[in-house]
Amino acid sequence: MIGLAIDSVLALGIVWMALQTVRSDSLFQAMLMFIVFGLLMSLAWARLHAPDLALAEAAIGAGITGALLLVTWRRLQVHGPDDSNGPRLMTRWLALPIACASALLVIIIGWTALQLPAVPGTAGELTLQRLEDIGVSNPVTGVLLGFRAYDTLMEMAVLLAAWLGARAVATEFRPGVLPGPAHAEVPLVGALLSLVVPISILVAVYLLQAGGSAPGGAFQGGAVLAAGGVLLCLTGRLEAAAQASALERVGVILGLAVFSLTGLIVMATGGPMLALPGVWAIYLVETALLLSIALTLVLLFAAAPGLRRAP
Amino acid sequence: MATPLQTPLQTHSTMTSEALVAVIFLPLLGACAAVMPGRFPARLGIVAGLLPLPGLLVAVTLAVWHDGPAWLELGGWAAPLGIRLFVDPLAVLMLWMVAIIGGIAAAHAWFDFPPGTGTGQKFWPLWLLLISAMNALFLSADLFNLYVCLELVTLTAIPLIALAGSKTAIRASMRYLLLALLASLLYLLGVALLYNATGTLDLYLVSDGLGAAPPMVVTTALALISLGLLLKGAVFPLHIWLPQAHASAPGPVSAVLSALVVKTAIYLLYRLWLWSVPATVAAEGALTLLAVLGAGALLYGGVLALLQERLKLVIAYSTVAQLGYLLLILPMASSSAWPIAWQGGTYQLLSHGLAKAAMFLAAANILHGLGSDRLSDLQRLDQRQPLSLFALAMAGVSIMGLPPSGGFLAKWLLLEATWRSGQWWLLAVLVAGSLLAAAYVFRILAATLRRDDPTEARPAAETRSIPAAQTACALLLALLALAAGFAAAPLLEFIEAGTPGTWSSP
Repeated sequence: MIGLAIDSVLALGIVWMALQTVRSDSLFQAMLMFIVFGLLMSLAWARLHAPDLALAEAAIGAGITGALLLVTWRRLQVHGPDDSNGPRLMTRWLALPIACASALLVIIIGWTALQLPAVPGTAGELTLQRLEDIGVSNPVTGVLLGFRAYDTLMEMAVLLAAWLGARAVATEFRPGVLPGPAHAEVPLVGALLSLVVPISILVAVYLLQAGGSAPGGAFQGGAVLAAGGVLLCLTGRLEAAAQASALERVGVILGLAVFSLTGLIVMATGGPMLALPGVWAIYLVETALLLSIALTLVLLFAAAPGLRRAP
Repeated sequence: MATPLQTPLQTHSTMTSEALVAVIFLPLLGACAAVMPGRFPARLGIVAGLLPLPGLLVAVTLAVWHDGPAWLELGGWAAPLGIRLFVDPLAVLMLWMVAIIGGIAAAHAWFDFPPGTGTGQKFWPLWLLLISAMNALFLSADLFNLYVCLELVTLTAIPLIALAGSKTAIRASMRYLLLALLASLLYLLGVALLYNATGTLDLYLVSDGLGAAPPMVVTTALALISLGLLLKGAVFPLHIWLPQAHASAPGPVSAVLSALVVKTAIYLLYRLWLWSVPATVAAEGALTLLAVLGAGALLYGGVLALLQERLKLVIAYSTVAQLGYLLLILPMASSSAWPIAWQGGTYQLLSHGLAKAAMFLAAANILHGLGSDRLSDLQRLDQRQPLSLFALAMAGVSIMGLPPSGGFLAKWLLLEATWRSGQWWLLAVLVAGSLLAAAYVFRILAATLRRDDPTEARPAAETRSIPAAQTACALLLALLALAAGFAAAPLLEFIEAGTPGTWSSP
């Protein structure tokens, strides 16, 4: 009974937040609504017994995406045109047809989903049956680093493409969006950082380590570690640099390169491509993924080619 | 329908599977190398990522030629648990196109984006990732993995357009990005429904479960996936993002976008409708609908190409039109003329790719040399840039479908197939499309040969010189498009061996 009440409130809240996001007059308000929407979605995933999704949604959907949205808002205020306060008339005019089409799509998909049969012997069931072949007890990690490791590898390439794309579009280097070292001397900032940054590292390592048997893994851990990096940017401890250092470049490609080379070495020694040889290899690859994910997210947030320590 | 599953499963030799993996991973690791600072890693990445591809493909081609289609289970996990790669004649052909067009366009780009310099640093990692993503897409046999590949293709292609730096290019790439994300979402929704209805994501196993699934679910899933792919493939009337994006991109990027990137979506439509959907699902109507869209593309794109004032926009609208041919063959899937239609469609895929890449490279040379690609500024081009004009004209011959060229052969086969299957409306569309193509190509050629306005003609000093190698790249592709008309017999035989099963209506 209580469960039903919670679910109803959640469902209504999600729809309400989505509506507020779309019809909000100010861009800033819409962004805030969207972040809250992400948090509610992560609760919904938790209610649907998908804790991995809930973690990912909270860390990436609400956390990092929210930070990216807000820093974009700041950038628009510093560099952008004056009309960034509200959506243009054009957007308003398109809103109704798009809303109708979306509603139609939702109705069709909802109606279709109701008719879905229970199919025996799905890939998901097979995953649960064969999980011990991988050596981890968390089925999500088993799929991401075992049965469908190739997908994860390609997703890392997508993340690299996102960074490369952002770097290609940033035609000129524009500092001044992130607060400079001027803010760094507020006394409480140092105390806060000395607490939060180590905790973000700790939580990231825990999530990585726990990923074998419980919800967690490289993506969630990477997002948490990135949060620490974002904080360092916001407090002026890290500042934008015009060029990425060699170390940063290594960090960005680390996950993809380690993952590919591990797979290729396995193949060169007679095994099937991408069959990770044991749990240690899964953790090796996941560590590389975590570092790359965190660094890429921080670089995307800073929207700078590189970062360096503030003097 | 005879899916590849019903033919005896081929056990692949280790060499083939290693070659397949290398085709994906060499450009991928090359991209990683190109991210590193300095000239040497970039050059190493480009050379090691692109140069070995033709050699590897020779091995793959021979294996497929002798032993038929082959599977490769990644990680050793059989489908539906794991992901497999699948290689058949169609996939081999697409891989060859990536290797040849991607390679020659890369040679062209070497001069505009020198490796190791500022712009080169941005360009080459994206380029190599794009090549790797397309190879991965043409080999993948898994619907979700294909989604990831499609995303990677899109997210590497779009920044490459934006690298042109102009306001138009940024706007066009932003529009492309938003519509491509919508397309990915539609595709993914459809895939989720298909997985729930069949319990598998494997492109070639899905068909087994579709017969038992509720028709409403199957229809919705296929409609969503197809809609996403039509949007990504810029099929009329969802082509609105294409002309500006393809026309404002840097030359070699335009070439690869028109010749390969939009074809990835068409390729997946083929895989979906001709391999995954079994005959028990009444697909006749859907295939006809797709062909109607193709016919619309052919006519609309042709007319719009005639109205453009800029050379690159003419070529871009010509892409919208020429993609139409690829969908026109679908309603013939149940007729006895299907093998011929399939040969024609696949040959169109090939010859249009070569000719269109040649046209865009030639147009890039002209734009670079004259500083403008307005048709009115092209007069006396035969004196100013004779070789680029020659490449443009040769490629135009193939686009129009004049003999002897690959385009001629493709259109001839298509005509024969429509004639034999009695699809008269398709015949009429084909003829109209070819006439329109002839009109817009001749319009370009007429503009280049015009010299009636001596007062406005620019002095020769204004023309900038272009590296001979860049001219050679355009010329080489144009000659390949032409040569496809001569040495066709073994190629057609190879294509025919991969005809998706003789299709019979329920």
